[in-house]
Amino acid sequence: MSTTHLLDTAGEVCPFPLAEAKEAIAAIPSGDLLRIDFDCTQATESIPRWAAEQGYPVVDFQRVKDAGWTITVAKP
Amino acid sequence: MQLFFALTGLLVGAVLGFVLQRGRFCVTGAFREVWISRSHRWLTAYLIAIAVLSVGFFTLRSMGVVDDSSRPLTPFATIIGSLIFGIGIVLAGGCATGTYYRAGEGLIGSWLALIMYALSAAAMKEGILKPLNSGAKEINTLEVTTVHSLLGISPWIVVGALVLGVGWLARGHLLRERRLTIATLPPTRTGLAHWLFEKPWHPFVTAVLLGVIGIIAYPLSYASGRRAGLGITTPSSNLATGIVTGDSAKLLDWGTLLVVGIIVGSYIAAKGAGEFRLRVPDERQMVKSLLGGIAMGIGASLAGGCTIGGSFVGSAELSLNGWLSFAGFFLGVGVAAKLFLRPPAKRLTVAPQTVPANV
Repeated sequence: MSTTHLLDTAGEVCPFPLAEAKEAIAAIPSGDLLRIDFDCTQATESIPRWAAEQGYPVVDFQRVKDAGWTITVAKP
Repeated sequence: MQLFFALTGLLVGAVLGFVLQRGRFCVTGAFREVWISRSHRWLTAYLIAIAVLSVGFFTLRSMGVVDDSSRPLTPFATIIGSLIFGIGIVLAGGCATGTYYRAGEGLIGSWLALIMYALSAAAMKEGILKPLNSGAKEINTLEVTTVHSLLGISPWIVVGALVLGVGWLARGHLLRERRLTIATLPPTRTGLAHWLFEKPWHPFVTAVLLGVIGIIAYPLSYASGRRAGLGITTPSSNLATGIVTGDSAKLLDWGTLLVVGIIVGSYIAAKGAGEFRLRVPDERQMVKSLLGGIAMGIGASLAGGCTIGGSFVGSAELSLNGWLSFAGFFLGVGVAAKLFLRPPAKRLTVAPQTVPANV
C-alpha cells in the first residue's frame, strides 16, 4: 500500500494546475504518489514533461472524460 | 473570384485553429514560462515560426507576390499598447489566437474574453475610442518601417541571421531533451486518426506548420483583395462591426472569415480528440477574462496587432514595429505574471487518500 494524495485542479486554467502540482509534490513525503486531476488541455503537455524533467515516474496517465485527465506521479 | 478567395480565409482559419489546438500552441504560455520557470522552449518554438514565415515572406516578396511592410514605427503607441496587451493575455489566460482556439474547446471564460476583445478592438478602430487610437499613433510616428531599410542592407542578411540564431537555439533544446522520456496517454486509435487526434505534437513541428500557414495566407489573402497576411485584431474588429452594422463587406473579408475559421477548426480538433467540453470558470476568472479581453482589444489596436498579426507576422516581415511589439508583449506578460500568477495557497492542503498499490 502506498498513499496517494489527490490534487483536484478541475476548472483551473494553465499555468495553475502545474504550479499547484509543483507545490503539492514538495509537500508530500518521499515514496508517496500524487494524483493530479485536471481539465486544462495544455497541461497534457506541460505536466508529463515536468515529471520527466524532474525524474518523477508517471504511474498512471489517462483521459477519463471529455476534456478531463488524470495523471499520477511518484515522488522518489 | 475575389469572394472565392475570401472564402479560403475560412479554410486557412480552420487549419490554423486545428494546428493551434492539437499543437497546444500558446504564445501567452511561451512568454510566461520564461518568466516563471526560466524555460524558453515554447519561446523558441515561437521564434521558429517567425523564422519560417520570414523566409517565406521574403521569397514571396522577391517573386513580387507581396508588398514590403510599410507600417511606420509608432514607438509610443506600440510600447503602451503591447504592454497593455501583454497584461491582458495573462488575465484572459491566452493571447488572441489562444483565446479563439480555447473558445473552440468550450471554455466559456474564453468566449467572454473573445467578445470583449472584438468589441474593444472595434471601439478602438471604428468607434468611441478611435480618437485615442489615432491620437496615440500621432504622438511620435517615425519615418522608418523595417529593420533592413533602416540598416540599408538586404533583408536576406537579417533573415539569414534570424534563421541561424533560431536554428542554434532549437538545436540546443533538441539535444537537451534527447534522453528525456515523456509519459503519453495510452493510444486508443491507429493510423491517421492517431496522428491527427492523439499523438502529442512537438512544439517545433507545430511552429513550422504555423509558419507554413502564415506563408500560404499571403497569396490567398492578396487574391481576395486584402493586401496583408495573417491578422487577428482588425478581423475581430471587422467581425464585431460587421455584425452590428450589417456591413457585409466586413463580414466577407478574408481576415474575418479567417478568425471564424479558427473557432471551427479548433472545435473540430477538440471534438475529434475528446477534448471539447463546456467549462465555466469561477467568478474570479470570469472577471479576469472580461478585463483581459478589454485590455487585449485596446492593447493590440495601439500596438498594431496581437501576438500573431503584430509580433509574429510583423517580426517575420522585419517590421520595426513588429519587433518592438514583440518586446512589449514579452515584458507585459512578465509584469502580469509577477502581479497575478501567485498560486493560491489553499491548494497546499492535499487530501491523503489510501488506495491499493495495484490501482
